[in-house]
Amino acid sequence: MTEYAVRAENLSKHFHLNAERHTSLKARIVRGRLPRGEDFWALRDATFDIERGSTFGLLGQNGAGKSTTLKVLAGIYRPSSGTVIVDGRVSALLELGAGFHGDLTGRENIRLNGAILGLSGKQIGAAMDKIVDFAGIGEFMDLPVKIYSSGMFVRLGFAIAVSLDPEILMVDEVIAVGDEEFQRKCFDHLFDLRKRGATIVLVTHSLGLIRDLCDRAMWLEHGRIKQLGPATEVADAYIADVNAREVQAHQASTIEETAPADESMRPGSGEVRITSLEYLDQHGRPSPVLLAGAPCTIRMHYVAHESVHHAVFGIGFVHESGTNVSGPNSGRQGSWSVASGVGYVDFVIDELLLQPATYEVSTAIIDRGHTFDFADREFGLRVRGRGYQEPGLTRMPGLWREPVAVPQTATGPISAQEDVSAER
Amino acid sequence: MSTAARPRASIWAYRSLIWNFAQRDLKSRFKGTALGWAWSLMAPLATLLTYSLVFGAFFHSPAPGFGNGRPGFFPVWLLAGLVPWTFFLVTISISMPTLLSNGSLLQKVYFPSFAPILGAAVAILVQTLIEFSILAVVLILFGNYGWTWLLFPFWLAIFVAFVTSIALSLAIMNVHIRDLAHLTNVALQLLFFLTPIIYQITLVPADWHGIPLQSIYRLSPLTQFVESLRQLAYDLQVPSLATWLQLLAWTAAAISLAFFVYRRYGLDIGEAI
Repeated sequence: MTEYAVRAENLSKHFHLNAERHTSLKARIVRGRLPRGEDFWALRDATFDIERGSTFGLLGQNGAGKSTTLKVLAGIYRPSSGTVIVDGRVSALLELGAGFHGDLTGRENIRLNGAILGLSGKQIGAAMDKIVDFAGIGEFMDLPVKIYSSGMFVRLGFAIAVSLDPEILMVDEVIAVGDEEFQRKCFDHLFDLRKRGATIVLVTHSLGLIRDLCDRAMWLEHGRIKQLGPATEVADAYIADVNAREVQAHQASTIEETAPADESMRPGSGEVRITSLEYLDQHGRPSPVLLAGAPCTIRMHYVAHESVHHAVFGIGFVHESGTNVSGPNSGRQGSWSVASGVGYVDFVIDELLLQPATYEVSTAIIDRGHTFDFADREFGLRVRGRGYQEPGLTRMPGLWREPVAVPQTATGPISAQEDVSAER
Repeated sequence: MSTAARPRASIWAYRSLIWNFAQRDLKSRFKGTALGWAWSLMAPLATLLTYSLVFGAFFHSPAPGFGNGRPGFFPVWLLAGLVPWTFFLVTISISMPTLLSNGSLLQKVYFPSFAPILGAAVAILVQTLIEFSILAVVLILFGNYGWTWLLFPFWLAIFVAFVTSIALSLAIMNVHIRDLAHLTNVALQLLFFLTPIIYQITLVPADWHGIPLQSIYRLSPLTQFVESLRQLAYDLQVPSLATWLQLLAWTAAAISLAFFVYRRYGLDIGEAI
């Protein structure tokens, strides 16, 4: 046993891209040789080690070479150049239930899959009960898998892959299946495997998973290693890059996107109307997305056809699920006069409490009971996070304190608990 | 270039997987059918009846006498030729699409590409052994048996190695050149009639427009395998040493071809599919 489960040096993999992938005899005879296609480098000069017993995350955009890397490590592809040494029994979870045969029963498929993963009949027999138990599909185990629901299919596939006690487990984005309970079971099992010293290589788009589960991570871009290091650092750098990219991609379309269709069709008397919304990031620069938890400014551009007095500006944020999340307005700060012409009103936010999601934004200009302008969900807002995602629509600012032990009193623990809450 | 990500591949190391593939083929083939396994004997039986009727009853094709001296019986003589031919035909036609039908699996898990093909061959061999047993029973009923039968396992081992090697080469090449499946189907049909199965080789003219046709016939490995089995089982004679050497030579050539094809084209099946 060496210190490393995987050692890859200058690993490269390229594919020939032929317009027609499969050569026909005719093509061979007519051209006399294989048609030359374009070379595509799915992985180029990757050098990395994976320590035994560690969990290694692979991240990157679609097509960056993550799956190719995993397939090379799993032995499905041979490297075009470079060396890779994988030391230990590999169980690859590239697709759950890939080796199932519909006419065979669950139990028969376990035997077949175990053999494909390289286990002897004896080893499979020993693991059989554990698999049956883990899959939790009851009497379906003795029925052909073609009648299984997709959930049962996945359960059985995962149960086989993890119960056969792999030394090195390669997982490709498969955990995001099954019901909540099963997912939790899978995660527990991955953590458990890690604790028992298995090496795990994980391809995932979930940065939370990278942070929680992985020790180290590798960020691939166009087949090359962009960053390799501690998982949290790589995940942070990656999400920062993704956010920056989105800002860049949407920069040009910002104005058009937030411009309403036709102002005169809106409800309201129309003396003054909102023409567009502009989102400014913490540095005051226009940005198509806002960062959750960061300072920002929402700039409401208006056009006043005549000057009005006592105008109150408001914004409403509607979550994509339809929930009205928040509706701040300037009423508490009094009402303002607006001179005729164009201008803008800033709503300055110290810390954006909205969770990452896409929101629809309504704007309104009112004067007590009178509506000048109401743009019902005409604008859009994308809020992006840094990879952390709490449940819910907004964050709840607060500070957690360390647990405080309360000495047992004669009145019992219940009243003690009440005491604690009373203190707060 | 290193392939250290893959375990060392020897056929022996993968015997459990090969057997599991064979079991899968056997179990799934007749699952859900009322007659189940009996179907596996229907096709050869139908072939036997058809040819016996057409050639035995209508054309009065003669059959050579049994090895025990009794007059020959055409259907039995035909069966002795049909069983090895059926093994050859079915192994090749079933294993050719095997890699393509296991394509999704080959792209998700690594296992050597020979495993599903050999598994298919083992599954067919199980059926063929049943057919050989029926042949043996029939021959025993005719009182036609002898010590030459002891050489049968030896003959079978050579034949299985030959057929499997050819099937493996064709199945791997089929992934790269898709025309091969169609070409092979045509070739198999021609080969059936170019092999003395439903007629005796003595019917082939020794000299046909100056071409030594029968000698060319005798060079064909399939002719040799079918003829030598009939000698062992039906004529109760031991094939000549030259015949055995030729069988071994053909088989060695087939195994070499399979090795070459596997090494050259069989290692990157996962990405060629």
